[in-house]
Amino acid sequence: MNIYQPHLMRIVEITDETVDTRTLKLEFKAPAMAREFKFSAGQFGEYSAFGEGESTFCIASSPTRQGYIECSFKSTGKVTQALRRLGVGDTVGFRGPYGNHFPIEEMKGHSVVFIAGGIGLAPVRCAIWNVLDLRDQYKDVTIVYGARTVGDLVYKRELEEWSRRADLRLCLAVDPGGETPDWKGEVARIPTAVEKAVTTAEDTFAVLCGPPIMIKFTLPVLARLGFAAERIYTTLENRMKCGLGKCGRCNIGATYVCKDGPVFTAAEMGRMPQEF
Amino acid sequence: MTQRFLSHADLGALVAAHRRVIAPVRARDDARQTDYLPIRALADAALGAALPRRSLKEFFLPPTEVLLSYRQTKEGVEIKEVPTEAQPQVVLFASPCDAAALEVVDKVMDWEYRDELWFGRREATTIVGLLCSSMDSSCICSAIGLGPDSPRGSDVLLTPVEGGYLAQVITPKGEALLSDCAATEASAAAVAQAEAARQQARQKVENNAPAIPDGFAAWLEENFDHPVWRTMALRCHGCGACAGVCPTCHCFDIVDEHDSSDEGVRRRNWDSCQTAKFTLQASGHNPRQGQSERFRQRIQHKFSIYPKRFGEILCTGCGRCCRVCAGGMDLSEILGGLIALAKKGAEGSGR
Repeated sequence: MNIYQPHLMRIVEITDETVDTRTLKLEFKAPAMAREFKFSAGQFGEYSAFGEGESTFCIASSPTRQGYIECSFKSTGKVTQALRRLGVGDTVGFRGPYGNHFPIEEMKGHSVVFIAGGIGLAPVRCAIWNVLDLRDQYKDVTIVYGARTVGDLVYKRELEEWSRRADLRLCLAVDPGGETPDWKGEVARIPTAVEKAVTTAEDTFAVLCGPPIMIKFTLPVLARLGFAAERIYTTLENRMKCGLGKCGRCNIGATYVCKDGPVFTAAEMGRMPQEF
Repeated sequence: MTQRFLSHADLGALVAAHRRVIAPVRARDDARQTDYLPIRALADAALGAALPRRSLKEFFLPPTEVLLSYRQTKEGVEIKEVPTEAQPQVVLFASPCDAAALEVVDKVMDWEYRDELWFGRREATTIVGLLCSSMDSSCICSAIGLGPDSPRGSDVLLTPVEGGYLAQVITPKGEALLSDCAATEASAAAVAQAEAARQQARQKVENNAPAIPDGFAAWLEENFDHPVWRTMALRCHGCGACAGVCPTCHCFDIVDEHDSSDEGVRRRNWDSCQTAKFTLQASGHNPRQGQSERFRQRIQHKFSIYPKRFGEILCTGCGRCCRVCAGGMDLSEILGGLIALAKKGAEGSGR
């Protein structure tokens, strides 16, 4: 089998997160793959809609939940629109897992702050569930999540579930103007919400994902709170084709997002050419 | 390295003995130009003409190739694999810059994940290089650390001598190729003649561009934001022709082509970092928005990123990018300018 050939997976469940964002739950068709497939939180794959091509998404489900994977995507291009046309029982292709992962092991015994904006919650959600499924091995868990409007919040059922849990702190926010009359969360952009929700960086790791503009304005907030750049983790979402270091598309200077990433610390990103 | 003598008849027999032989032949549309194409007899090969218009890359990474085919059925999707083994072939009279490029690109194709399609063809191919005699002012192989007589990437390297060729056997594959052939021990006269020819060839390109100095890759990395990228890129149209003819450019795209109602293929097609949509993200964000960023990527990839990751310059100095550039961009001029800046910087900082 050549390295570009995908495994076949069956769509077993479809969840519409927002008007244009959808989550597919996928199971490997080959029993051996279903048994042997392993990945780590933060890794990604190449998902294919046969006839349209491949797209790169992170694996949005947690490695602690075996037997399936999930991916969440916004319909923006040819492949994501084609994936959206598929129904339960239909077949998609998958290559992966590729890339590095979040420091799930290193974070054990410490507190973790998860910060996400919009569909940036997908990779963070994978790490969140990974940590929550091993909850007794971590100290405090804080989740700060926001989107432009209430309608743009993804994984609503899980947000609901997290809000009821006593072993984590959840802070939800929408941009000013994005709130509904019954909105009970914050009306603030992510950096402001983080400033309110996070009080200390002591013994704490930060995991954050979202649009480049959110990352840009949240990093200084985390720095002011005292987070060392080595303890702030984020993922880069550069365009890719192969995911294997060959197609020459995702590099930032000498750093290949597909091979060296997609997870980077703020310290690593500071050392890269500012071309992302 | 063993050296043998091959007469023209010996070489003719070698061509006849192999089912698929590729060599430079006169281009059908332009008698002054050559292309690498399959030949039937030695006489089909065009010797002493210009460097072939395109490199050998297309025989290992075709401009378009099928990665898999699929069929949609009631039960789902059936995938048909493509074979990764290739038919044996011999490349005759390869230019040393084209032969070397294959070994350079091997590094990325074997980076953790082995590209069996590339290596299937590499393994099935024996490369017979030829001392270059078609150099012009765009050739900068010497500056890159290669040369018109570089054995790199060749299994056998030929140098024309009286009555035939002196053959340097470089690899076991080259040894195997010549074992079927009536090659004889090279005479001292032939060895001396070949050495003189090599020296002469080297002299012809040596002064085309300054050698890449030590520390150049690091200088490029440190000067990612230097204003020179903007001024140098002004002539770049962003057409990507340079990448097409480049023996080492290997970027590709992967697309599906749906042929009929339920069948199709997934293809890999050549692509180029010089085009605007190359890095365009789904959100509309593009990390390399302007042509100067894309031009910088090309130079950085070849002379800084690839050396940093693989210890090799991703260029063999063939000069094709200069010959095809509609904007008249000349790599020797570009490198000359950057090297001068690097030297000035080193003096300025007292290094």
